[in-house]
Amino acid sequence: MSKPTDLVQGTLDLLLLKILALEPLNGFGLSQRLKQVSGDVLHVSDGSLYPALHKLEQEGWITAEWKPSENNRRAKFYSLTRLGRKQLESEADNWGRLSSAITRIVRLKEA
Amino acid sequence: MRPKHWLYTVPLRLRSLFRGCRVDLELDEELQYHLEQKTHEYIRKGLGPEEARYAALREFGGVTQAKEKCRDTRRVSWIQDLIQDVRYGARMLRKAPGFTAVAVLTLALGIGANTAIFSLVSGVLLRPLPYRDPARLVTIWEKDDLGHPGNTTFATYTDWKAMSKSFEELALYSSWQPTLTGSSDPEQLSGLRVTNNYFRTLGIRPALGRDFRSEEDTPSSNKVVILGHGLWERRFNSDPNIVGKTISLNTVSYVVAGVLPANFQSLMSMDPRGSAVEIWRVLGYDASQPWACRTCHHLVAIGRLRPGVALAQANAEMGTISAALWKAYPKDYSASGVVLTPLREQLLGPVSTTLYVLLAAVTLVLLVACANLANLLLARATRRDREIAVRTALGAAPGRIVRQLLTENCLLALLGATVGLMPAYWTPKLLAALGTGDLPRLAEVRVDGRVLLFTLVLALLTGVVSGMAPAFRLSNPNLHDSLKEGARGSSGWAGSRMRSLLVVSEVTLSLTLLIGASLLLRTLTQVLNVAPGFDVSHVLTMRTSVLGQKYADNNNLRQFYVQAVERVRALPGVEAAGVVSEIPLGGNMDQYGFHAEGKLNANPELDPSAVRYCVSPGYRSTMGIPLLRGRDLAESDTAEQPQVVLINEAAARQVWPGEDPLGKRVKIGGVDQPWWTVVGVVGDVHQNGLDLAPTMQFYVPHAQWPFPDSDMIFAIRTAGPPEAMAGAGRQTIRSLDPNQPISRVMPLEDYVGLSVQGRRFSLVLLGAFAAIAFLLSVVGIYGVTAYTVTQRTREIGIRMALGAQRRDMVMLVLRQGLLAVLGGVALGIAISAVLTRFLASMLFEVKPLDPATFMLVPVLLVGVAVLACWLPARRAMLVDPVVALHHE
Repeated sequence: MSKPTDLVQGTLDLLLLKILALEPLNGFGLSQRLKQVSGDVLHVSDGSLYPALHKLEQEGWITAEWKPSENNRRAKFYSLTRLGRKQLESEADNWGRLSSAITRIVRLKEA
Repeated sequence: MRPKHWLYTVPLRLRSLFRGCRVDLELDEELQYHLEQKTHEYIRKGLGPEEARYAALREFGGVTQAKEKCRDTRRVSWIQDLIQDVRYGARMLRKAPGFTAVAVLTLALGIGANTAIFSLVSGVLLRPLPYRDPARLVTIWEKDDLGHPGNTTFATYTDWKAMSKSFEELALYSSWQPTLTGSSDPEQLSGLRVTNNYFRTLGIRPALGRDFRSEEDTPSSNKVVILGHGLWERRFNSDPNIVGKTISLNTVSYVVAGVLPANFQSLMSMDPRGSAVEIWRVLGYDASQPWACRTCHHLVAIGRLRPGVALAQANAEMGTISAALWKAYPKDYSASGVVLTPLREQLLGPVSTTLYVLLAAVTLVLLVACANLANLLLARATRRDREIAVRTALGAAPGRIVRQLLTENCLLALLGATVGLMPAYWTPKLLAALGTGDLPRLAEVRVDGRVLLFTLVLALLTGVVSGMAPAFRLSNPNLHDSLKEGARGSSGWAGSRMRSLLVVSEVTLSLTLLIGASLLLRTLTQVLNVAPGFDVSHVLTMRTSVLGQKYADNNNLRQFYVQAVERVRALPGVEAAGVVSEIPLGGNMDQYGFHAEGKLNANPELDPSAVRYCVSPGYRSTMGIPLLRGRDLAESDTAEQPQVVLINEAAARQVWPGEDPLGKRVKIGGVDQPWWTVVGVVGDVHQNGLDLAPTMQFYVPHAQWPFPDSDMIFAIRTAGPPEAMAGAGRQTIRSLDPNQPISRVMPLEDYVGLSVQGRRFSLVLLGAFAAIAFLLSVVGIYGVTAYTVTQRTREIGIRMALGAQRRDMVMLVLRQGLLAVLGGVALGIAISAVLTRFLASMLFEVKPLDPATFMLVPVLLVGVAVLACWLPARRAMLVDPVVALHHE
C-alpha cells in the first residue's frame, strides 16, 4: 500500500493504539503524528488509515468524540478505551516477541 | 472479556443499524475535515488552492472506496442489504400482482398441505406419550399356539409378578361397561377394571383426589372408581367436591377416589365404533371364581421396565418364566411363550404407516408446487433479463443478485406459508368431520410452535429451492445481448431444457401420487365389494343394557328381551326384529373355545375357538344371514328344551370336513360344560372387518345360554329408511322399562362405514394431494407450452413464410411438450414401482404393482397432458407470418 516499508500485517493496529495511548487525536492529527514519530519510514496512506481507525472503534478498543480542533473546527477525536489499553499491551508483547525472534535469526553468524 | 466487549460494540452496531444515515454523515464530515486540513497544508507549502485540493485527494486515494471500507467495518451491512432486498422484492411483487397471486396460491397449497399433515404427525407421533418415562412402558402378551399375541390371566399375572425382576411395576386391565344411573338418563359408559397400581405403572397421578389403594384391590372393597376428565365435566358439572362422593353404577354405589388430568391418554384403541374410556374401577379380582382359571384369558398386562433394563433383556427373562410355567402346567399354556410390545408401538404403530405415507405424499405435492413456481420464475426471468443486465453493468456482483432473487422468492414463500397456515389451523376440525378411523390423540393435533417452526423452515427452503435454477440463470446473463435494444429476450437452449426438466419432474411426481391414490381407491372398492354375509340395508340397530335387582333373575332378563322384540316387531313399518350380543362389524366380539365331540385335543387349549352370538330366534332372518342346512333357532328352543346351536360354514368346514355337522355335539367355553347340538348351518358373516376373512362362528339362543347377556343389540328390519324408526324403537324399550340405557341408535350401514373409516381417511387425503399435484402439473404443462409458443412465434412465422404447414407447426410445439410428459411418465412408473411397496400394508386384494392401475393412470395422465399441451399449441396454428415477423 505504500512504497517505503510495507507494514507487517496487523502492526498498523498496534501503531495506532500506541499513538492514541499518548494522547487523543483526530484522524488528520494522527496521520501527521505517524509520519512525525516514524521519521517518514512508515508511510500509511490516508485511504487505509480511516478504515483501520473505524475497525478499532468497532472492536471497542478506541472510542470517538466530536470536539473542536485547534482551529476551532469540529473534528472526531479518538481515544483509547480500557479494553484498547489491554489490547495494546498484548499486541506490544506480541510485537516484542516477534521482533526479538526475528532479530535473533537475522544476527545468526554465517558459518 | 467477551461480555465486556459487547458493552462497547453492541451500542455501536445498533447505532450503525438504526442511525445509519447519521453515521454516514459523520463519516463524510470526518473525511472532509481531513481533506481540508491536508489542502491547507499544501497551500502553506505554496500550492494554489485548486492544485492543493487535487494533491490532497491524490494523497488520500479513493475517498469512496475508503468510505465503503469504513462501512464494512460496522459488520451490519448484511442486515442492511437484507432490508434493502426485502423492500426491493416487495416492490417487484407488488408490480406483478398476477404473478404474485398465482405463485402465492401455488405455494399456499403446497406449504399448507405440509403444515396440516405435519401438525397431524407432530401431534400423534412426535409428541411424547403423556406418561412418565413412556419409553419404559410395555404390554405383555401371552402368545397362543399359533403365536398370535393375546390376553393373559390373573393366575399367570400373579406368577409373573412373583418371578420376574425386569419390571418396576406390573399391572392388569380389562374392559368394563357400567351403566351410570342417577339424575339424568341412564348412560352406558366405557370403562376399565384395573389393578390398584395401574396408574402408578403409567406414571399418572389424578388431577383431583387420590389414586387407588392396595387395600381396595380385593373382591369385597373394590367399589371405588376414578373418573376421566371428560366424564367429570359432562356428567358431574366439574364438581370440585366430587372426591369421596358416591355414584351409582349398575345400581351399585361406588366411591369416587379421584379425577384424571385432562390430557390422559387411554390405552384402549380409538376404534370409532367404540366410545372413549372414561371411568376406571379397581379390579379386586376374585380368584375363587371359576373364571379365574389359568386359561381364562380376559386380562391385559402392562409393565414398567426397571431403569436400564432393555426390552430384549425383559423379553428373554419372560421367555424363561413362561417356559417354566408351561412345564408346571402343560395343559394350561402353549409352548409359544410371551411377547413384550413397547406401549408406543402398540398405540401408534398401526397408524404410523398411514401418517408417514401422507407425509411423503405432501412432500411430493410441495415439490410439484416448487417445480411450478420455478417454471413461473423462469418465464418471468426472461422478462427480467434486461433489469438484471443493467444492475450487473452498474457493478452488482453475481452473488449479490442471486441473493436478491432468493430473498424475493423467500418473501413469496413466506406469503404462501401465511396463506397456507389458515386452512392448516382448521385441520383437526376438518379431520374430525371427515372421520379418522382409529387415529389416536386427535386432540393433540394443533398448530403449535413446533408446527410454525416447521412451516417457517419449509417456506424458506421452498423459496430457495424453487428460486435456485432461475436465479443462477439470471445471474450469468449474456450482458451484451440483453442490453441490446429490442433484444428478443430469448432464454436460449439452456432455458428451454430447464423448463422441460421441470415438466418431467412434475409429471413424475404427480403420477407417483396418482398411482398411490388409485391403489387406495381400488382397495376401498375391493373392501366395499366384499359381501358382508348379511343384508346391510334397511336395518336399524340399537343397543340396550338391562340391569338392576329385578334382572339379576335370568328369567326376568330373558323375558325382558322376548317382550321387547315382540313389541318392536309389532311396530308399523317394522318387517322383522331380533337381538344379538355382538353386531357384525361393530368392532367387538366374544370368542369361546369350541370343543367338538370326538375331536378333542389332549390339551383343550389347542381346540379351535369360535365367535359366539347370543341371539333371539328371529335374529338370523332379520339380518338376512342365509340358512344353508338344517333348521333355524325357534321360539320353542326354551331353557327347558335341549340346548341347540347354529354354526357357520367355516366352522362346519374346519371341524367336520366331509361330514354332516347336523346332529353333532359340541361343548362351548370349556370341556366341563354341557353339550350343545348342532341343528343348522348358516352363512359366514364378516365380524371384524370386510377385509378380514370370517372365522368360525356359532349362534346360541338367549333363552338357553346359561348366563344370558344383559347387554344386547337390536336389529330391526324396516320397510322405509331405518333412521325413521329410531324414535319409535326407543319409545318401545322405554315403555317396557324407563330405567334402561339405550345407545348407539344407528343404521347397520353406518357400522360398515365406520369399519372402513380409517381406509377412507387415508384415501381421501392421499386422493386430495394427488389431485392438487395433478392440477398443478397440468397448469405447469399448459404454462410451459404456452410460453414456448410465444417464444417461438418469430421462428414459426419464418417457417410458415417459407411454406411450412400450420399442422406441422402445432406438431413442432406438441412434440417438445409431449417428450417431456412421456419422460415424466416413464420415470413416474419406475419410481412408483419402487415406492408402492410401502403401501402394501394398506392394500387389500390389490397388488402394489397392480397392472390395471399402472396402465390406466399413466394413460389418463398423458391424455390430460396432451390436452394441456394442445390448447396452447393450437395458437401456433393461428400465427400470421406477417404479424409474427413484425413481432417485437
